Amino acid sequence: MHNTGYIIKFVLIMTTIVAVVLASLSSGLKSVHDKNEAIYNKKAILGAIAGSAGIDMAKVSDDDVLAIFKDNIEQVVVDYEGNILTPEKVTALGYMGGKAENVDMAKEIKKAEKDRVLPVYIYSGDTEKLYVLTVRGKGLWDEIWGNIAMKSDLNTIAGVAFDHKGETPGLGAEIKDNPGFYNQFAGKKIFKEDGTYVSVDVVKGGAKDLVHDVDGISGATITADGVADMMYKGLNLYRPYITTIKQ
Amino acid sequence: MDLLNIFVKSAFIENLALAYFLGMCSFLAVSKTVKTAFGLGLAVIFVLGITMPINWLINNYLLTDSGIFGIDLTFLRFILFIAVIASMVQLVEMVVEKFSPSLYNSLGIFLPLITVNCAILGGSLFMVSKEYNFMESVSFGLGGGFGWFLAIVAIAAIREKMRYSNVPPALRGLGMAFLLTGMMGLAFMSLMGIDLG
Amino acid sequence: MAEVKELVVKKGSAIGFGKEEKKLLTDPLNDNNPITVQVLGICSALAVTTGMKNAFVMAVAVIAVTALSNFTVSLLRNAIPKQVRMIVQLVIIAFLVTIVELTLKAVSYDSYKQLSVFIGLIITNCIVMGRLEAYAMGNTPYKSLLDGIGNGMGYGIILLIVAAIREFFGKGSLWNYKIIGNTSDFLINTTESTMMGWYANNNLMVLFPSAMFVIAVLIWAHRAWNNKLIDVS
Repeated sequence: MHNTGYIIKFVLIMTTIVAVVLASLSSGLKSVHDKNEAIYNKKAILGAIAGSAGIDMAKVSDDDVLAIFKDNIEQVVVDYEGNILTPEKVTALGYMGGKAENVDMAKEIKKAEKDRVLPVYIYSGDTEKLYVLTVRGKGLWDEIWGNIAMKSDLNTIAGVAFDHKGETPGLGAEIKDNPGFYNQFAGKKIFKEDGTYVSVDVVKGGAKDLVHDVDGISGATITADGVADMMYKGLNLYRPYITTIKQ
Repeated sequence: MDLLNIFVKSAFIENLALAYFLGMCSFLAVSKTVKTAFGLGLAVIFVLGITMPINWLINNYLLTDSGIFGIDLTFLRFILFIAVIASMVQLVEMVVEKFSPSLYNSLGIFLPLITVNCAILGGSLFMVSKEYNFMESVSFGLGGGFGWFLAIVAIAAIREKMRYSNVPPALRGLGMAFLLTGMMGLAFMSLMGIDLG
Repeated sequence: MAEVKELVVKKGSAIGFGKEEKKLLTDPLNDNNPITVQVLGICSALAVTTGMKNAFVMAVAVIAVTALSNFTVSLLRNAIPKQVRMIVQLVIIAFLVTIVELTLKAVSYDSYKQLSVFIGLIITNCIVMGRLEAYAMGNTPYKSLLDGIGNGMGYGIILLIVAAIREFFGKGSLWNYKIIGNTSDFLINTTESTMMGWYANNNLMVLFPSAMFVIAVLIWAHRAWNNKLIDVS
């Protein structure tokens, strides 16, 4: 048996070693972690435009991702009325850096719709211009979010990339993993011909309106409804911005 | 979300044992009779109910960069959470032993087992990723514990009955317990997605 | 005299690789498998076995943690105060798991995102704690290291087998490489490009409960083959 003094000494020494090692490791790797996280988020945005812009997501390297973002993508942040915010204003909201990629959608979704700011990524390729809009909503278990790439008419969808926090693997998680689901969105239109806003609906049992509907996922009705709801509400917020661009 | 909603949701719909399969080691090992399962279940409710709020306070006031130290200390999260759980379990054990020997006799042997029950640490980690506030985390802890309690008592009851059945020798005991838990998990999946509004 | 000396050498020189050391590595693979015989570490076995890649990363992480924690605790086994043994062991495990997490986050951010809370749950993986108590507290560091690797591998093998079965029948692929069934863009291109194009994925295999069924069948097969493991009670 050890006495109390020894126990205290042992615990103190151990705690110090553990804390020092972890602290140095954590701060030493911080730059790598931040870079990985940034690339992960940027890849999610590229995923939406990959089909139209001819980027092979399986082969694209980290440096390519950064290069595309530097050379081809312009980032703007807009408010509820469609006005473009200056980087200073965005920084004042607590988003260091002031660019679209610094906006934390998880925080924005909790604010009232009027107070939200919305990130927009504008991709200028060799042939076309694409607008990537960010939406966020609720799935079955937890939050889901997505990047929606629009063609320059801001009506036709060029591609989408969804992600989720904890949907059921094999069911709800298919929104992210199954190309058969997310590839359906390309070519769909969010406005009717007379200009009324309809977004894109996810229909259980098969799409009926081939211009505005996509097929749901069997066994994941709630997640699929969540996607439809998220797109309807999310894209609706961008409508003032869409109107200004169209003019 | 109101507190009752979180309680019901974590107890039935997002059951730690049957929807996430956390705490399976003790779940399978201590579910041979209803009596012992009952004891372990109560101990889990108790410990989850205590550690969840404490870990919430630690996470929000010590570890985040808006906490007391003003720097990001999240790399210490695992160590502090497990230390809180281990010391709480030890503390509870000592208090119970001192003030209620009868409760200690029925609960005591399970308490050391609880430290390494993934449901406890898992609950705390889920609480962080779900970004609950203080009262919500209390409700989540109690609800999660209650759900785990129900699950282990139910499976113990089935396993007691199972003894009278003619199970293939190689499947007896453990194998059968796995099959039963899997089926109960499937049954619980039908509760998925119920929104209490 | 020579005999005595040999015995001393055998006991004293910890760094060797004989029958005993081999048994430390191979025993957990069969007779003493942590999952199918000792029922330890089930939680993470269920959640991360939807695909082989995640299962592999998890297996490597667990092997690293069991091996290193066994080694560290065995080094300190005479210095650790008995009264606070549990907490000290847990802190050592949590310390190693945090290192694993930080490393994984730097090396493969995708895996880190997918495994999320389950990396943290290695701390309460009973295999780690169980081996510390049962082996490392009473044996030399080298043997404890081998015991840790052996048990980690015993766990990892079951993890990979379960993941292979679930991925093959659930998604028709292995290691994300499509083998049977339709390609995922079948609905759009209506072309069958793999073997057995008629195979429809069994969605049940991707859900959590199916891991329970797969492990149950594995236990059944294992015990039918290795009769001495049958539960007599």
